[in-house]
Amino acid sequence: MAVRHVYLDHAAATPLAPGVLDAMLPYLTERFENPSAPYARARSVRADVEAARGRVARLVGAKPDNVTFTAGATEANNLAFCCVDGPVVTDVAEHESVLGCACTHEHVLVGVGRDGRVDPAEVAAAITPETQLVSLELANGEVGAVQPVREVARFVDAERRRRLETGESVPLYLHTDASQAAAHLSCNVASLGCDLMTLSAAKVGGPKQVGVLWAADGVRLRPLVLGGGQEGGVRSGTENVAGIVGMAAALELAMRDRERESRRLEGLRERMRVCLAEAFPWMLVLGPTRARRRLPGLLSVSFPGLDARRLVVLLEREGVSAGTGSACAASRMRVSHVLLAMGLTEREAAGSLRLSLGRTTGEDDVTYAAEAICRVVRAEAARAGVA
Amino acid sequence: MAERVYVGLSGGVDSALAAALLVEQGYEVTCVYMRNWSRDLPGFRCPWAEELAEAERVAVTLGVSLEVWDCEEEYRRTVVDYLVREYARGRTPNPDVMCNQTVKFGTFAERAFAAGADLIATGHYARVSHGAFGASATLLRAADVHKDQTYFLWRVGGDVLNQALFPIGGIASKAEVREMCRERGLENADRPDSDGICFIGPVGLRTFLLDQLDRKPGNIVEWETGRVLGRHEGAFLYTVGQRRGLDLGGGPARYVVEVDAAANEVRVTADPACPGLWCQGLELEDVRWVSGEAPREGDYLVRTRHTGALRRGRLACGEDGSARVTWTEPTRTVAPGQSAVVYDGERVLGGGIVCGWVR
Repeated sequence: MAVRHVYLDHAAATPLAPGVLDAMLPYLTERFENPSAPYARARSVRADVEAARGRVARLVGAKPDNVTFTAGATEANNLAFCCVDGPVVTDVAEHESVLGCACTHEHVLVGVGRDGRVDPAEVAAAITPETQLVSLELANGEVGAVQPVREVARFVDAERRRRLETGESVPLYLHTDASQAAAHLSCNVASLGCDLMTLSAAKVGGPKQVGVLWAADGVRLRPLVLGGGQEGGVRSGTENVAGIVGMAAALELAMRDRERESRRLEGLRERMRVCLAEAFPWMLVLGPTRARRRLPGLLSVSFPGLDARRLVVLLEREGVSAGTGSACAASRMRVSHVLLAMGLTEREAAGSLRLSLGRTTGEDDVTYAAEAICRVVRAEAARAGVA
Repeated sequence: MAERVYVGLSGGVDSALAAALLVEQGYEVTCVYMRNWSRDLPGFRCPWAEELAEAERVAVTLGVSLEVWDCEEEYRRTVVDYLVREYARGRTPNPDVMCNQTVKFGTFAERAFAAGADLIATGHYARVSHGAFGASATLLRAADVHKDQTYFLWRVGGDVLNQALFPIGGIASKAEVREMCRERGLENADRPDSDGICFIGPVGLRTFLLDQLDRKPGNIVEWETGRVLGRHEGAFLYTVGQRRGLDLGGGPARYVVEVDAAANEVRVTADPACPGLWCQGLELEDVRWVSGEAPREGDYLVRTRHTGALRRGRLACGEDGSARVTWTEPTRTVAPGQSAVVYDGERVLGGGIVCGWVR
């Protein structure tokens, strides 16, 4: 019998952060009005939607008018890709929503190294005079690799200046999906040097199905969803008021606590890593080794020769919820495309566990989970005759 | 040394219990999930990922390995393509019959034996009486008459069956199966039975066929008079004997008498006694016999539907894989493409595919 529950899949979904539900509730009950309606009660709901937009904008150093609310990060990524027709450059380790969008354009997929990171020079080399969009995740949700977005931004900028000087009219934008990064890294759009940025509420302690696409002044978005012309005509449909307010509240909290929380999570993750590494010297730790190049709360490991699907079932019986690869890959029970792109063998990829810590994770949880993981890995290793 | 059994695990209760019983009986058990169809066609949600997760839980509970074998290519070629092709001809195929022959007792069996299995097992409701090594087994109906699945197993050869186990075929009822699962801590004991053609799921056959085949509007006519009663979107959407979904704007209940794919015409009648709905016997093609040898001409029991009535009929086999069943009294017609399975008491002799009627 499971005595306690430890949730170690914050990269897949996060519970609402403290206060977020309270911020949302009024808009599901007494303040339910349609923000586009003309009477005073509705105008005040409109004012709250716009205030939330302003709060999100401020958090990423942007103007409110450039923030479009969408139904989640997948839609925001789709909206970003929809603004160009021409060739795009992205990398093999992106989220499936980005890879899916890239496939609707002429595209180049840059490879990643063993640590899951792209080489900025390789991205630069893939940019041709026809390229219209470069998309690079700020941090990967599967192994936690932080991508060199700033370096790539400099290459994109250089190409843009070249086009300006030679009188070429082909636009070139840099998009970054910051869904996994927002709770842990600075997402200031000016300092990142991007033109489009995706954010997700669901990964930062907000509700699911709410996201943001920020677009710089010069980018002309084209709507995917047609209708009443909400969100400046870019995204029709009555605003998800409770979700939008919840996203602003969650993002504010996440960014306010970012540095302290990141340090705390990094400490917990290291405890977990050391504990497992001591017990299983044959375990692989995936992703970048340098702390600055990885998400603080994410530990991706592989037990080559074991089957992660079984580990998940055994851990679930110990009360521990852990992921294998990304949720999307896991639901298809296929080996993760990110891990294979990093050069892992099928055997290594099939034995990979993703442990992602978050706001709800305490020291006791890490101790309990590490012990549970040791138990089940030991049992499985004995059964499978590994190590 | 214990005999090695490879058992097909589907995520449902039947195969879970089959695997559990084999473990208890001391076999060295390896579970295999056969992934037959993983494509998500728009609008079709194949539940395979959830099934696999259930199968994994069963394997972990039993402390045995689960392997995932990709049988998609075989399944598409011999089951899905066959299904679409047969419907396009105006027939009503039994894809499960083909799946058993080519995937479960075809690819799966071959791969299992190649991997070193002594025996294979599934959660089918059927019983088998093994012959000497290398001989043919005898296939028998399950103890539970309501669940007996031998109708779907008639194309499986006695040689493969001689190395096959059906651990739950002797259990008297489904309720008992569920109870036995519960006693063993198999968490999926309350999962509903999987029904129908697995890869089509709840959206249904009509939607699937319209996705695969071009719409081909034609007439629904009265069998007796040739009078046009309405239109259809493709004769392939209809089945002989079908009563519902004819959409003829009210009037009496009508039955499909014939589906003429060549003329793209569906012929119906309002008269349950209409001679077109009745026949004296069935013409069969593509016959197969479990023992490999055609039975002598004589009276046998014949079933034309899963757990359907076992009717007495006279069987006469031709030279060319054909056969004829002659009923003792006029009987409702059976859609071409369906299986007619021949029994001698409890024993399954084999059968054929219905291709015509003896009037």
